[in-house]
Amino acid sequence: MLQIRNLTKRFGEKVAVNDLSLHILPGEIYGFIGHNGAGKTTTLRSIAGIQQFDNGEILINGTSIRKDPLTCKKEMAYIPDNPDLYEFMSGIKYLNFIADIYNVDAKDRADRIRDYADRFELTKDLAEPVSAYSHGMKQKLAIISAWIHQPRLILMDEPFVGLDPKASHLLKEMMRELCDNGGAIFFSTHVLEVAEKLCDKVAIIKQGNLIRFGTMEEVKGDDSLEEVFLELEAE
Amino acid sequence: MVGILVKKQLAEIFKAYFYNTKKNKSRSKAGIAVMFALFAILMVGVLGGMFTYLSFSLCRPLAQAGVGWLYFVIMSLLSILLGVFGSVFNTYSGLYLAKDNDLLLSMPIPVRAILISRLLGVYLMGLMYSGIVLLPAVIVYWIFVEASLPAIAGGLTLILCISILVLVLSCILGWVVAKISVRMKNRSFTTVAVSLVFIGLYYFFYFKAQTLLQTLISNAAVYGEEIRGAAYGLYLFGRIGEGYWMGMLILILVMLAAFAATFLVLSRTFIDIVTDTGKTERKIYKEKTVKQRSVSSALLGKEFARFTSSAGYMLNCGLGILILMAGGVMLLWKGGMVSEVLYQVFGETRGAIPVLACAALCMMASMNDMAAPSVSLEGKNLWIVNTLPVTPWQILKAKLSMQLYLTVPPLLFCSICLIPLLQEKPAIKVLVVVLALAFSVFSALFGMSLGTKRANFSWTSEMTPVKQSLAVFLTMMSGWIYALALGGIYMFGGFQLGAVTYFLIFLAATLLVSLILYLWLKKRGVKLLVS
Repeated sequence: MLQIRNLTKRFGEKVAVNDLSLHILPGEIYGFIGHNGAGKTTTLRSIAGIQQFDNGEILINGTSIRKDPLTCKKEMAYIPDNPDLYEFMSGIKYLNFIADIYNVDAKDRADRIRDYADRFELTKDLAEPVSAYSHGMKQKLAIISAWIHQPRLILMDEPFVGLDPKASHLLKEMMRELCDNGGAIFFSTHVLEVAEKLCDKVAIIKQGNLIRFGTMEEVKGDDSLEEVFLELEAE
Repeated sequence: MVGILVKKQLAEIFKAYFYNTKKNKSRSKAGIAVMFALFAILMVGVLGGMFTYLSFSLCRPLAQAGVGWLYFVIMSLLSILLGVFGSVFNTYSGLYLAKDNDLLLSMPIPVRAILISRLLGVYLMGLMYSGIVLLPAVIVYWIFVEASLPAIAGGLTLILCISILVLVLSCILGWVVAKISVRMKNRSFTTVAVSLVFIGLYYFFYFKAQTLLQTLISNAAVYGEEIRGAAYGLYLFGRIGEGYWMGMLILILVMLAAFAATFLVLSRTFIDIVTDTGKTERKIYKEKTVKQRSVSSALLGKEFARFTSSAGYMLNCGLGILILMAGGVMLLWKGGMVSEVLYQVFGETRGAIPVLACAALCMMASMNDMAAPSVSLEGKNLWIVNTLPVTPWQILKAKLSMQLYLTVPPLLFCSICLIPLLQEKPAIKVLVVVLALAFSVFSALFGMSLGTKRANFSWTSEMTPVKQSLAVFLTMMSGWIYALALGGIYMFGGFQLGAVTYFLIFLAATLLVSLILYLWLKKRGVKLLVS
């Protein structure tokens, strides 16, 4: 589903991501953890096609994001760490805009908006301008917009920030549902307990270098993910 | 505290001068000097040059006639006209709608400090526009009439006081708009309506004053002292430029009092306005059947939604729509008279009328420059379009299309009203319209190219990309220069080619430049958008 081969990204002298390689298979929820500034967001933005990188290759279902970004983008969705959405639109207009771009037909979009907005208890607020939304509501809207075209791969940067416990639980359910249906999710998080319970695989990045990755059992062994992470950070 | 906020405000306004966003690092001292030198050349050399020419032609004859005061009155009124136009539409957004309101108000910062720092932005815009006219005017006077201490002090007093007057006028409008729109449901359109009413009234009285002034000029020699008596205020005002100390003192005191009163009102109401969430009812969503749109119409719809959501954007970049419509209506109403006067004045120069008419159409259309700031206005939302399965060219094309959709129909309306008034061959009439349309395409492409090349995504007030960006400024100026060149070159020799040949040459040049800009956007512009 997603192959990252020797990804390197520099900002001037600083190497933000150094020779990173990962392979995410269909059906996998892949967690990406690391301290602030470790290179998580840089990696996610490179995969999403909104940031050029210096070396390496990123393939979505075998297609290069560099060579054919449009084909890749049709297959995936990206939710950034801070959901800056169009504040001049209402929630429903934003969702319809995204659905139009992904060519989702009128019936499917109506069904999906109804379904997801009801699940996130956002239906009544859809006519309000996004500028009137709280951070959590914007995050919910960003999640619905990511799911609206039923992508095969979803990239998320700190998706649980700002969500209430019920919405967090719902998101975890939706993530599992998508992966059970053959999709894949690659997301960054600082909430290690969530990563430990939810992820099939996990990768730990430190100062741009991938220092450990694999199945949850391979990475943490008999310890907790938090213990392993803190131990690796201390090295 | 004020110093810190002012520094932050200046850093935002002049960010491009100190920081190279392309290389992601600060400019060197030499680089900063070069940037400011280029800005000075543009302002003083190009724009100031136009008003220096006007000053040359007015200063000496009026001073020699003993009415030097009249010279200062004319130039001051022109300066106020341009200054108000330049700053009035960004006051409301600049003062009350900045994105750092919550941050600043949550800190122990006195309101007056926030206000002073934001007023500085408005003041600088007003000073820049009014100074373009008045600075050359006083320098020309010092060179050709006298450069005594009183004359120098008088000139500087005029520059200072007029810039304060422009600030006060802009603040009054900003405050009125804020007070009204805070209670309205559709704030952006309310703001546009109130602003247009205000500016309409302002120019109505302004032109009334000009009529009075023209009467004064034409009768100056005959009535002498009587005119001074009839408009003694204006006389004293003009005498300040000649070095009239008492006038200077009175004007400074009046302006300071006006500013103090305005500042007092603004500072007392600032928190109420900024923190007022209004009393609009919550809209409950009711599901409706929605038609699926194509990608291009979805992107175009998004651009229209962006444009109509912001009063500042509409007023600063879409005034051409209104001017073209108003121009058309005026031609329907008084077209016969206008045509008669034009043929009497310019009728001897063969083909001059259609060329000047076309230049006027271009000038009016150049007031539409919504494509220029549209890339910068993506701001923090840029990730959305960049992660969607659309090409960068589709994004740019939607922005270009919006400008054309908003310019071409009113331009055609105005042209249709104009064409019957031209006593020319059908070919010339067609060329007038075709060239004006070609210009609107060129203008959109030029603004889009500059806006993409000099995009600024990190702003706290949308007035930064809409009003204070070099892209918008140059786009508007390019339209004016184009119109002046079209009319000017014809009058100063181009007429020898004949109107048809002249139009065809201009049309070919416009289309060629447009093609180059189009190819640049498709090749380089799209890459800049992604990077």
